[in-house]
Amino acid sequence: MNSWILIPVFLPVISGIFLLMAAFRKHPENVQISAGERHRLHLIVGTVLLISAVLAVAAVWTGEKSLTLFYLMEEIPIYFHIDGISRIFVTFTSIVWVCAGSYGFIYIQHEGKETGFFGFFLLVYGVVIALDFSGNLVTLYFFYELMTLTSAPMVLHHGSKGAMIGTLKYLFYSLCGAYMGLFGIFFLYRYCDTLTFTSGGTLNLTAAQDHRTILLIAVFVMLVGFGAKAGMFPLHSWLPAAHPVAPSPISAVFSGILVKGGVLATIRTVYYIVGPDFIRGTWVQTAWIILTLLTIFMGSMMAYREPVLKRRLAYSTVSQVSYILFGLALLNPTGMTGALLHTVFHALIKATLFLSAGVFILEGDKSRVDELTGIGKRMPKTLWCYTFASLALIGIPPASGFISKWYLAQGALQGVQQAKFGVFRWLGPIVLLISALLTAGYLLPVTMKGFLPGKDPRYQQGTPGDEEPPGFMLVPMAILAALTFIFGIFPNPLTKYIVQLVSGLM
Amino acid sequence: MNVANLFNNYGEAAAMILFGIGFSNLLLQKNLIKKIIGLNIMDTAMYLFLALKGYVEGRKAPIVTNGVQTMEAYINPIPSGLVLTGIVVSVSVTALMLALTIRLYRRYHTLNLDEISTRLKKEGL
Amino acid sequence: MQFVQNFPFITIILSLFSGPLCSILGGKKAKRINQAVICIVMVMSCAVLAFVMQSGTSYVYMMGHFPAPWGNEIRVGVLEAFMAVFFCIIMLLCMMGGVYEREQKLEDTKQNLYYVLVNLLLSSLLALIYTNDLFTAYVFVEINTISACGLIMIKQNGRTLEAATRYMIMSLLGSGLLLLGICFIYDLTGHLLMSNIQEQVRILAQTGMYHMPLLVSVGLICVGLAIKSALFPFHSWLPDAYGYSTVSSAAILSSLVSKGYVFLLVKIFFRVIGFDIVCDSKIMNILFVFGIAGMIMGSVSAIQENNIRRMIAYSSVAQIGYIYMGFGLGNTAGVIASLYHILSHAATKALLFVAASGITDASDNHTDFFKLTGAGYRNKLAGIAFTAGSLSMIGIPMFCGFISKLLFAQAGMDNTYKMLPTLIALAISTILNAVYFMKTVIRIYTPVSRKEIQKNGYQNISIKEQPVKSVALILFIILNLILGLCSEPIVAALQSGLGMFA
Repeated sequence: MNSWILIPVFLPVISGIFLLMAAFRKHPENVQISAGERHRLHLIVGTVLLISAVLAVAAVWTGEKSLTLFYLMEEIPIYFHIDGISRIFVTFTSIVWVCAGSYGFIYIQHEGKETGFFGFFLLVYGVVIALDFSGNLVTLYFFYELMTLTSAPMVLHHGSKGAMIGTLKYLFYSLCGAYMGLFGIFFLYRYCDTLTFTSGGTLNLTAAQDHRTILLIAVFVMLVGFGAKAGMFPLHSWLPAAHPVAPSPISAVFSGILVKGGVLATIRTVYYIVGPDFIRGTWVQTAWIILTLLTIFMGSMMAYREPVLKRRLAYSTVSQVSYILFGLALLNPTGMTGALLHTVFHALIKATLFLSAGVFILEGDKSRVDELTGIGKRMPKTLWCYTFASLALIGIPPASGFISKWYLAQGALQGVQQAKFGVFRWLGPIVLLISALLTAGYLLPVTMKGFLPGKDPRYQQGTPGDEEPPGFMLVPMAILAALTFIFGIFPNPLTKYIVQLVSGLM
Repeated sequence: MNVANLFNNYGEAAAMILFGIGFSNLLLQKNLIKKIIGLNIMDTAMYLFLALKGYVEGRKAPIVTNGVQTMEAYINPIPSGLVLTGIVVSVSVTALMLALTIRLYRRYHTLNLDEISTRLKKEGL
Repeated sequence: MQFVQNFPFITIILSLFSGPLCSILGGKKAKRINQAVICIVMVMSCAVLAFVMQSGTSYVYMMGHFPAPWGNEIRVGVLEAFMAVFFCIIMLLCMMGGVYEREQKLEDTKQNLYYVLVNLLLSSLLALIYTNDLFTAYVFVEINTISACGLIMIKQNGRTLEAATRYMIMSLLGSGLLLLGICFIYDLTGHLLMSNIQEQVRILAQTGMYHMPLLVSVGLICVGLAIKSALFPFHSWLPDAYGYSTVSSAAILSSLVSKGYVFLLVKIFFRVIGFDIVCDSKIMNILFVFGIAGMIMGSVSAIQENNIRRMIAYSSVAQIGYIYMGFGLGNTAGVIASLYHILSHAATKALLFVAASGITDASDNHTDFFKLTGAGYRNKLAGIAFTAGSLSMIGIPMFCGFISKLLFAQAGMDNTYKMLPTLIALAISTILNAVYFMKTVIRIYTPVSRKEIQKNGYQNISIKEQPVKSVALILFIILNLILGLCSEPIVAALQSGLGMFA
């Protein structure tokens, strides 16, 4: 019986709903909770999160499983299937989620509305795990929409005007994107043998032959639509609007995990439904590569010019996730390997960065980059975490980002077999290089000014290290930062696994 | 299409013209009473049309007289029945419309529906 | 003949005569009688549904002692019985949801009249569903209109009187055209019973005689019923009528009255003219175009609207557009999708109206959008219900709106020429829906300071304060989820019912 794989999905969802109901009953009279209640809340959330994370990881690492929940309509089941891709996604999702949750125990105390926050936090975790488990396109879409809806209230946490606009923007872009995806699903439903994910695609090539143009359009619309969640140009602008207004643990899971939902949907569509062969060499691939390269460059530029740290990191996410999409768009095994590696690494790195940015905001009340001068004197440990993650994101060996970027550049060079795509062979690596330089340009100044304030007038001398956050916040950050380096120094097991996975696909 | 057919079926043509007159009155007139008159013209046109459909030259109304029960003596009774039903419907609808008109007139002292709307907007209700 | 076969007739008569009975009783007793009648009708319709499901065929019930070409008939199949059950459920829930508002805002002398009208409405809806006779259908269309008009004007302020007058005028134009169409068909075929007409129409279609008059009469019927059910260019009466009447009236009008006309149209397509003949004519394309225009324009108007009730009303225009678009696809799958949308829209729109009334109650009876800030916290159940309804309207999976959109899209894929316009219209309209519903949901969940709440005199409304309404809201949400998650047997029932139609 495989039905136990439902536990990591439904346990957090149900306990999240219970917490929400408890929070809802209290509002608006009593937003603050007593220490005893808080302790109990932490205990519940921690237990539920750990149990579900352990079960989820156990579920994916004990072989392939499938489970049909129920039939939405005739021939359209809601169906879970665990395969190699879900294994990767579930694992890093669980790691980041547990870390962000532990960090959130302390962080959210300062923000209020804790019960409601953790209610949504657990709920979204369950939905994301279900998204990673989903075994056909309709199930994927189902949980994709649910993920958007359940995560939107987390952005709205403050209830300020900015938060409202951010939430609306997030909802609008995501729903638009999802419906573009649905639009494509309708076409694929017609021309595919089945919507169940199968390596290499299920497109019925004989039936599709007469409708090639329209199918290509549909696939392109889907790519742009799912790209909205992954922050791909032209539907990227919700990211910089939603991230700064959300609490930091939320920004971390948004940037680290939820954005990867778009990546997952893209992988499933291209490699498991349509099949890479159908797109290879068509205008869709060209347009897709152009869009991703544009986003990589533009995101880095915007981040470079952005003075607010969290928004800078959000633009950085825009750029970095398009690295992943670029790797996918190359449609060759090396690019795909790079993309999957970068998915994992970026999740860990960006979570670390956002969590440390949260510490700066919380302990030092500083959100702009130029206010962070000398921060390293007061919170050296936090800034070291930030620095390690930055180095990894820039791609300096032996940090993890180097490995994934190496594969991406290799993939681009090996490239695109057709002659007319020759231009991408050199354009891709060049854009990657420029973007890496820009990444260094926008991330490292914080470190440099933080540790070496010099004679900056804005820097006030304080007691060194006295504002360091408590262990519940620091340890998760340190773990994540350490992981980014450990994966860089010992990349072999992961790389081997992913190469093997990809070779099964193409 | 033969124009001559129009003259042969002059009754139906007249019914249609009346229907058009009634319909456009109901739709376009501003005055509520005129609208109701339009409604009645429209309904009457339908009765004319139905009556013409049931009429057979030289026969009598479908009410048994002098014990004659042969079918050939009378016109088709169904359209007559429909006309009667239609009249009932039309009377009740007209009554309802008139009642509404009276209510509105008492409140706003005008029969012009557009004027009532502008007054309502001013009231800001 | 089994006793259960008498039930359709008994339900019509029962609700028809309980109307006058209510008029001589006081408000409280009338309410009880009304609820009892709706429940009895529901149970009886369930029995009928079970019977026809079991027998697998439809049956004809002769009224009086005159056989087919002369007498009046009732015809019962799975689809009819299913619709009857569903309409009863929705009507019961609507009446439950509006019970407090009726008691507070209606004059005491008008209380029982409300139930008279509702009973009449129920009987006319049942008759529209069951009848096999075109002229009977016309008569009950008029009864339906009259009682609906009464439901709109029961509040008796200037707004509702004006809205009722406008509703009446548009409806009368519609029924005039409908009557003209019916008379033409009678003239062409010499019959009033649907099955007999269909035989004659087949002969006419085969010989190619009277092609033009037949087309004109179908066109007249379509336009007439389109006006009455507020298809896009004829929707001007709708926002006022739904926006200012009492909650239960608005809910019943939007979810049942307009759907009754749509159901009659389906019956005329399948049972009177024959669906293939209708599809061969170009009428379907016209319905398709107007349906799509309604989908877009209704949503655009709703976005511009600041009154929450009128916003929901405009959204009805869009949803009616969906239904006509489904007809316009010109295949059975499209009609199934439209029928399913009748169900899903009835469940959702009634839920939204009732929930919106809860929200406005918690905002000192303001319907203005900006006064609703934070109302979701003040009336928690209404907030949740409104959110659920909005999600269903947008078409989020799990709720019934998603299934109907899926069905529309599948039906659209079957029609080569209309595939792209359908999908694009669905996408645009969904996004427009998302804009105004999400805007409202976020507005009602944006917290406000306690000072402001006290300044405006807003009240908290707990779930237990209005138990009947709370139960209605919860049942509505459950109905929505059932339609969204267990759509398979329902669609199967609709399919088999439509199969019995031909």
